[in-house]
Amino acid sequence: MEPEGAEPAVAISTGTGDHASGTHISTDSSVTIRVARFTPRQGRSGRSASNPFASSSSPSPFGSRPGRPRGKRWTQEYRIQTAHEQTILDCLLQIKREQDPTLNFRYSCGHGMCGSDAVLINTTPTLLCTATVGDFAKVPAEETGHGGDQDRGFRRTGRTGAVQSRPEGPQPKRTGWLGVIDIKPLPGFTPLRDLIVDTDTMFDQIRRFHPYLRDDAEPDPDRENLQTPAQLSRFELLSNCIACGICEGSCPVYAGGEAFAGPAALIAASRFINDSRDGHSQERLDDINQEDGILACESVRACSRQCPRGIDVGEEMWQLVEAVNR
Amino acid sequence: MSPATIKSHYEAIIVGAGAAGMSAALSLSRSLRKNHHEGQETPSILVISKLQPLRSHTGSAEGGIAASLGNEEQDDWHWHYYDTIKGSDWLADQDAVRILASEARKTVIRLEHEGVAFSRREDGRIAQRKFGGHTSEFGGKPVKRAAYAADRIGHQILHALWQQCVQMGVTFAEEWYVTDLVLDGIKVPDTDSPAEEQRKDGEHESAPLTNPCAKARGLVVLDTHTGETHAISSDTIMLCTGGAGRLFHTTSNSWDLTGDGMALALKAGLQLEDIEFIQFHPTGLGHTGILLSEASRSEGGILRNSQGRAFMQDYAPGHGDLAARDVVSRSIMAEIDAGRGVADPKDPNGPRNCVWLDMRGIGEERMKTLLPQVYETIRRFADLDPTVDLIPIKPTAHYTMGGIPITTQGQVYKWADGRRCPVEGLYAAGECSCLSVHGANRLGGNSLLDACLFGTRAGEAMAEQVTSALSGKSTAQSGDTRSLEQTLATRRSVIDRILDDSPSESDHAQAPDTNPNGDTNAYQVMQTLGGVMEDAVAVRCDQKSIARAEEEVADLDQTAQGLKAHSPDAAFNHELTAIMEIDNLLTLSAAVLSASDSREESRGALFRRDHPERDDQHFLVHSMVDREGRVDWQPVHIVDMPPSGRQY
Repeated sequence: MEPEGAEPAVAISTGTGDHASGTHISTDSSVTIRVARFTPRQGRSGRSASNPFASSSSPSPFGSRPGRPRGKRWTQEYRIQTAHEQTILDCLLQIKREQDPTLNFRYSCGHGMCGSDAVLINTTPTLLCTATVGDFAKVPAEETGHGGDQDRGFRRTGRTGAVQSRPEGPQPKRTGWLGVIDIKPLPGFTPLRDLIVDTDTMFDQIRRFHPYLRDDAEPDPDRENLQTPAQLSRFELLSNCIACGICEGSCPVYAGGEAFAGPAALIAASRFINDSRDGHSQERLDDINQEDGILACESVRACSRQCPRGIDVGEEMWQLVEAVNR
Repeated sequence: MSPATIKSHYEAIIVGAGAAGMSAALSLSRSLRKNHHEGQETPSILVISKLQPLRSHTGSAEGGIAASLGNEEQDDWHWHYYDTIKGSDWLADQDAVRILASEARKTVIRLEHEGVAFSRREDGRIAQRKFGGHTSEFGGKPVKRAAYAADRIGHQILHALWQQCVQMGVTFAEEWYVTDLVLDGIKVPDTDSPAEEQRKDGEHESAPLTNPCAKARGLVVLDTHTGETHAISSDTIMLCTGGAGRLFHTTSNSWDLTGDGMALALKAGLQLEDIEFIQFHPTGLGHTGILLSEASRSEGGILRNSQGRAFMQDYAPGHGDLAARDVVSRSIMAEIDAGRGVADPKDPNGPRNCVWLDMRGIGEERMKTLLPQVYETIRRFADLDPTVDLIPIKPTAHYTMGGIPITTQGQVYKWADGRRCPVEGLYAAGECSCLSVHGANRLGGNSLLDACLFGTRAGEAMAEQVTSALSGKSTAQSGDTRSLEQTLATRRSVIDRILDDSPSESDHAQAPDTNPNGDTNAYQVMQTLGGVMEDAVAVRCDQKSIARAEEEVADLDQTAQGLKAHSPDAAFNHELTAIMEIDNLLTLSAAVLSASDSREESRGALFRRDHPERDDQHFLVHSMVDREGRVDWQPVHIVDMPPSGRQY
């Protein structure tokens, strides 16, 4: 199903109106949402490391390639009534209500704080709840030369320019048919079903570098540790990381975390390296000074571009490179 | 993260991994480690959560956590104690609030030690800001009591607690959904018993409750990754599942706050306390319901009506924009009703059901430093610039003051025969529970405090129970699990029915109209319910609006009982979970409506148009509602402060 460069011939079904958030926003525009879907084989085979029963059952059907679980894959299109300023999360929830309740994707807080809804929209790793229709809907045009199949190859190409900053392509109209939005699972992670990916690898990597303030001495229960605003500012931004995985999905080296612990884990490490209360900076630097630790970073800096918390991840990584070499 | 294998029995299980659940997990693990003897079996603990812990809604809390640290100016926990009681409209249990206020300092210091990146004063101590309803000298001038981390205190607390859980090696079962709470030996309560037979004031909490009327047996859980259900037995179970904002269409709550723990308790034959009290936060952003922290007002934001008037001075002289949340929400609605509301600029011709939040006086630099999250939310979701634009806001469903009744040790009880009858081995903490420290209205900054403090205390109580069980004083640990097995079988047949005959969506990838007959689905029902509850009881209600909603909820319940999933594949089938969530929401709605109907007065967050005055003579009591809608009444614990007026 590859309608390229034209309004899709089959409009699946059209929603009856905007119930997305009880708004009265006028919805005299529509958009086509194209979702990469996946159902794991036999429905019940989607075991992952976060399943405590995993080892007591039959071996994983995935073989040794975590990136390609078996199952049914297809692309599904939905045409919905919406508005320029609606979020893509609003759109997908509208689809669940009005057209297809079988569509699966993670979401929770709906305002960019929980970090659960990172996906790939067009060619941009981003959060469903902060991306808007206006940012991403684009009318396919032959001459722009991207979209469609070309996106497919993105995941493991390692091209440094692969991640586009929005807005992409021609600026969409504000009414009428706004164009197409492509949604795929976050790259670098194993898809489990539809847009849901296995985030266990990322959390394993984060845990690996001891991401917690160490409690060596019994602290005085009646006194806080002192920390000046200047000391706080050395790690405050890093502590805002929501572990959404977008930096990992943007990183051409990460790809599943086998050769690289990934930017999210290193940001977590850096948060404690820079916390004046911790006192284990050197140990922590030694921890990350490994082939698959900070040494695997190739300074591509794609990780900085889409961070929803505004962390300059690439610069932080560079600081860590300098620190371990000091 | 999750273990490689799971057992059919755990010494302790915690359901929910937000501030309360992880505080409990930490204190439980630490206490057990401290009590551990060489050669003794290490107790097994499991934390079950329907989300990866860092996705929990605690992370959305913005403004602060209240404690009389006195870092900024003189403060005293007695003042915090008084403010909380007054804020509760005198419905809070004073023995519990005493603990809340007096142990707040210890709690905040502990959180700092866990790693929370609090904002700091130049001298290195934790910075504090003003928050609505927090005063000095028992109702005097506003005091800086809320410890904060810019406007991301919840995120900081959630992450620090998770980090320490990682250090302690706490075992999580993530994206598991608890479908059933199984208790043994519960007796039908005698609802005719006179409520007056309570113990005398002041004797309430010191001794543990005796003569349990039921006992924790175990849980039935759905592993959403595999779609398989399991029975897990435990003699020590804790519910920390958060609130139920999704009862309402306009809410600041995440999509996961479907009142699961409260509904589990109701379905297990327990009651909910004061569940009619639901706080509407005054400043939800326009029609999105996304929260703009109270800090936006404490840092200088002013509410204005369509004429530009700072109307809060008219409703709460002296407190103005920082009056208690229920007062501010009702004042906003009064302005809107009087025709002085404004339309959302996104929809200039739409209903004038907002008022303005004027933050222009705060200054760009200060706003970006102190309110980065508020600033960003407004820029992103309203496409407005709060340094130059007026921001449309309306009240948004924010917090359930009521919940599963617990003692100050986190022990769940049932109110029967005029006494607290404990459910042995069942604990709760956080928003799903009711102590009650918030009474009819919660003060800002007290929810994180409640969750962290009483979560910790409940964890300690659980540790005590586990330790004494391991040292041999145990009641039969393997026990009789027939009731659990039976519940598992029933649940499996329900899930089979839900998944039965569903077309496989991968079978018709080319024709994915899964809604050919216009049949409904859980997501539609949830949306409809949100509208029904909003119309009926949001901010204001009366007997008629409640009765209408009761009918509609009953209809929706009929619909919900017939809901089926549209895909037969059980693994990662979110619609299957949603069908069970809507069932929980409907169960809870009925309880909220029954309790609201029974309380024929206005108090705190509950405003009855047909009973606009507070009535201490008849209703200075906690409602205790069960699944059948029967309402019993439990006296308020009044220790130090006799009820008086509540002017702001």
